[in-house]
Order: sequence, then structure tokens, then C-alpha cells
Amino acid sequence: MTNPIANSATFKTTPKWKKAFFSFEALLVVVLVVEIIIFNSTGTNFTTRDNLFEILRFSVVLGLLALVMTPVILTGGIDLSVGSLLGLSAIVFGKLWRDAGMDPWLAAICTLVFGAVAGGLNAVLITRLRLPPLIVTLGSFSLFRGLAEALTRGVDNVTGFPESFLFLGQGYLFGVIPAQLPIFILVAVGVWLLVHQTTFGRSFRAIGFSPEGARYAGIPVERRVAFVYILSGFMAALAALVYVAHYGQAKADAGSGYELLAITAVVLGGTSIFGGIGSVHGTLLGLAVLAVLRRGLTLSDQPAELGSILTGGLLLAVLAGEVLLKKFSSRRARVKTNAQVSQITPTT
Amino acid sequence: MKKYFREISVAVALGLLLLVLAIFAPDFFKPTQLLTILTAAAPVLLAACGVALVIMCRQIDISIGSQFALCSIFAGMAAGHGLPMPLVMLLAIFSGALFGAINGAFVAGLGLPSIVVTLATMVTWREALRWWREGEFVRDLPGSFQWFGFSQSTGQIVLLAVAGVVFLILVFALKHVSGGRFVYAVGSDAEAARLAGINPRLVTFCVFVLMGALTGLAALLNAIRFPDVDPKTGTGLELQAIAAAVVGGVAISGGRGKLWGVLAGVLLLACIAPALVFLRAEPQWERAIQGSIILLAVAADGWRSRKGKI
Repeated sequence: MTNPIANSATFKTTPKWKKAFFSFEALLVVVLVVEIIIFNSTGTNFTTRDNLFEILRFSVVLGLLALVMTPVILTGGIDLSVGSLLGLSAIVFGKLWRDAGMDPWLAAICTLVFGAVAGGLNAVLITRLRLPPLIVTLGSFSLFRGLAEALTRGVDNVTGFPESFLFLGQGYLFGVIPAQLPIFILVAVGVWLLVHQTTFGRSFRAIGFSPEGARYAGIPVERRVAFVYILSGFMAALAALVYVAHYGQAKADAGSGYELLAITAVVLGGTSIFGGIGSVHGTLLGLAVLAVLRRGLTLSDQPAELGSILTGGLLLAVLAGEVLLKKFSSRRARVKTNAQVSQITPTT
Repeated sequence: MKKYFREISVAVALGLLLLVLAIFAPDFFKPTQLLTILTAAAPVLLAACGVALVIMCRQIDISIGSQFALCSIFAGMAAGHGLPMPLVMLLAIFSGALFGAINGAFVAGLGLPSIVVTLATMVTWREALRWWREGEFVRDLPGSFQWFGFSQSTGQIVLLAVAGVVFLILVFALKHVSGGRFVYAVGSDAEAARLAGINPRLVTFCVFVLMGALTGLAALLNAIRFPDVDPKTGTGLELQAIAAAVVGGVAISGGRGKLWGVLAGVLLLACIAPALVFLRAEPQWERAIQGSIILLAVAADGWRSRKGKI
């Protein structure tokens, strides 16, 4: 038909701007802009500085979970237990402070250690016993929430934290910036550097593409995978602290359903659920799309349920769109030449 | 013996639990008490069988609780509008099959990962239901709805009979009908199954539809136990069903499992909550114990397969 070499040349010389224009992130930016335009006309006070900070404040807890869910999914795994661990960590923190009489900051450090240990439980089961992450974290999802309920007998609610601690979730730096924002930015930059700028983080994607291949390339697969689950547990505990400081109470049902939202943000951000492909900035964009949608609906006096329905629908639509697009483009490529199909596999 | 190790170990665990109960809380074995526990477990059994089939096919469905709630509400409203019970039952099964078909279309048709698809449908259905009903119960149901219009004891037996017959049909079909064997084939190795002339996508789609239909039936059997229909029903059912399947020896990696094991798993999990009450422990521990049982069961699987490799 046509000369394959000429074709491969045109394939490689696709201008960079064109690639960027048709990339997945660009699509998300468009969605985000459309959201903002719609909510600007339907919502009250949507495009104000206060609202921007309010959106950021609401996304911090979810954002911390989503940020570390990215490396977890990049390795081809999943962590369904983060929402439950958030609830359990909140209870552990409340109990340590109130019942064990600890200083709130000491209790906070203990809670962070506890979160890492709980993540370590997932890590041991997944790496030592070679169990599928899905079912392990489904079990710990149930276990952690169950422990939180059992420890509080389902009704206990720890409140009355000192002002200095509540500042972490309710205060403003320089009078405008929510106090939890610096934590979020620090974690976001840290995770971004880890995933995109270090060989250590790059190995997550290698593992996600092919654990066997990564092993042969000399990557200690078990240790790296264990690391991401421990990090995930640690971050769930940190998110729990911010959550408790924000709402001023530690309850057993804290963070229920957050695992779903975190996964949605990651997958919306273009990370493949099969692992190997994805980016931290994509996750941040996905998070922004979610957060703006929820806040915008609230300001437009729409019920919260609509936000969840749209979230679920958006997730399905994005995934289906991606698959259909891939099918379409690979079919076009097959018409050109069969040999090129292997080159079209994304190389993010 | 070795082949059925998992199923036997669950049965032994169940036997031990019953033995402890027989010694410390003989009241547990009163016929009315047992009937209540069994009728509560029967809908879970049907749902768990559906999930077990899906897992054997190397997929997963966590939207089952939301499907269950919607089917319950549909059944209740249909009965409230005066439809005869057989039609109500058909409607529940049909609507369940429809939900299953939607999941199946995304998973089998587009090749999307089932965990993400069902995660999305789980939230979408549940929230749509909350938006639509605003937490309102379906009340003022005709007398023919609760227990199919029978007395409670007759109704309980009818319910168990329906569930039992469906269960036995599934057991038979999975072992002796080619369609049932296809499920194992696709779950073990979809590509090999395709080369053997099986259409893996079609099998996966059918399994999702079947699971939806079973969920619909389970929802109806559950709803007739009560005088009105709670829109929050079925919350957490997905975990219960998956736990029962995994505890009962269905391998999460697909291709392996027996519905008898699922039955043992359902009964074991169903006995925990009443056992806690009878042994005077705090019932809040139920969920934590369920979670530990899941982890223990999969850890045991992992331990065994690891030893087998070395």
C-alpha cells in the first residue's frame, strides 16, 4: 500500500504542540474550564478568591489520598483501605489524646507511625504472600473500619481538641491561606519529585508494566511495592489528622467513600488502572475537576447526590472514551501498516 | 481430599463455631432462631453465588449492593401498584439483569477493568436512588407482599425452598452444562478459551447478566421478609458476598471455586453476628471480625500456593 518507512517518519515528526493539544491532560483542562464557565453563571460567588481557597481546603484530605494512590496504581496495584484507615487513624488519634492523655502533637506522631504500620500490614500480605492487592485491601477496608467502629462502639465521638491543633484544619495563614494548604503543596511536590524525577520512583512504572521484567532489570520489586503501600498508610494517617483538625471531631465513619473518590481522581487524571502509565500532575488535574464539580454544585444549590452521580458517570465516560479512541486510532494505524502498531503503545 | 481442602476447611470452621455455640449458648439452636438466621442468609447466598461466578470469570462486581437496593425498591413499588407477585418477581429479576447487562457491556464490550466500572456504577446507582427516593421507605404494601402472603413460618420455608432450588440449579449447571464449564475456562485463561472456540466476551457478559438477575431475585427474597422496603438495604452487601465467596474457596485469580464452598462461607459469616450476641460479645466487632476472616482466608490461600511453589 504505502511505504512503511515514510509513514513511521510522519508518525515520529508529529509536532509537539499537536501532541500536547490532543493529550489527555488537555481534555481535562477543557473539562475544567467548561465547569468553571458553567458554575460561574449558575453558582453564587463562584469565581472569588475565598471560594478558590475553600475548594482547595476541601480537596486537601482527598488530595493527600489521591496523591499517594497514584504510585500505588502505577505499580499495578490498588488500595481500597485508605478511607477506612483514615477513620481508624482519626479514632486512634482521638483516643491517644483524650484517653491516654498524650500531648496532641505527640499523639499525632504516634498516629502517623500507626498509619505506616497499618499500611505495612497490607504490604506484608501483598508482597510476602503474593496476594492480589484488590482482595487484601478489600479485607483491610473491612477490618480497619470495623476496628474503628468497635473501638468507639459505633457512637463515641472525640471532640474538644485544643485550638493550637485545630488551627491545622481551620486556621488561616496571613489571614487568607488555609493552614492545611502548605502541607498539601509539600506532599504534592514531594510525590511529584519521587515519581517523576527519581530512578526510585520511575521503577513504579516499570513494575506496573511488567513485574517480571522489572525484576530481571534488577529492581527489588517486593521492597518497592511494599514501600508504596506503607506510604499510602502513612498518608491516610496524615489525612486523618487534617480531617480531624478541620471538622474538630474524630468519628468512626470519617472518610468513608474517600477511597472511591481518590481512585476516581487518579483514573480521571489519566493513570491507567492496569498500572505503568500515569502522572502526578494528571492526578492533580483530576482532583481539580472533581473538587470544582462538587463545590460548584453546592454553590448552585444542587443536591450532593448529583455530584456523586456525575462523578461516577464522568469516570465511566472518560474510560470508555479512552478505550474507543485507542481502538479507533489503532485501527487507522493498522490500515497504514501492521508493523507500527507496537510503536503506538503509549510511552509516557 | 486435597483437592477440596479449602471447602473442607471452611466447613470445619463452621462446625467448630456451631460446636462452641452448642456448648456455651444452646439457645442458638432453637428452630425459630435458626429459621430466622437461614432466611436472612438465603438472599446473601444467591448474591454470593452471583459474585462467585463473576470472580471465577476473573472479574469482580462491587456494585451489587446498589443493584440490590434498586431492585428492592422496584419490587416494592410494583407490588404497591397492585401487580401480582409472580410479575413482581419477574420484574425484580429483569431489572437486576438489566443492571448486570450495563456492567457487562462496559466490562466485556469495551474491555474496561471491572473494578473501576462497578465502582462507578455502585456510586451512581446508590446516589441516584438516594436522590430519587430521598431515603423514603416504600410503605403500605399489599398483604400478598410480605412472605408472599403466607404466614411467617410458611413464608420462611417457601423462601428457603426458592433459594435452595436456584442454588441447586446453579451447582448443577456449573458442573454439567457446557456454559458452566465455559466460566471456569474463561477464568483460567481467556486466550486459551478463545482458541478452544469459546467467546470469552460473551461468557463474561452473560455472567454479569446472570449475576444481576440473581441479585434481583435475592433483593425480592430479602424484601418480602419485611412489611416495608428500606432504600438503604444492601449497603455493604458487596463486601459480604465477596467475603463469603473468598472464604468459601473461590480463587480471586479466577478459574477456581465451588458453590458448596460459597454456601459454607455464607453460613459461617451469617453465624458471626448472632454468635456474638449469644456469646455476649459486643456486636460492633462484627465488621472487624469479617475483615479478619477475609484476610485470614486469603492469607491461607497465599501461604499454601507459596509452599506449593517451593
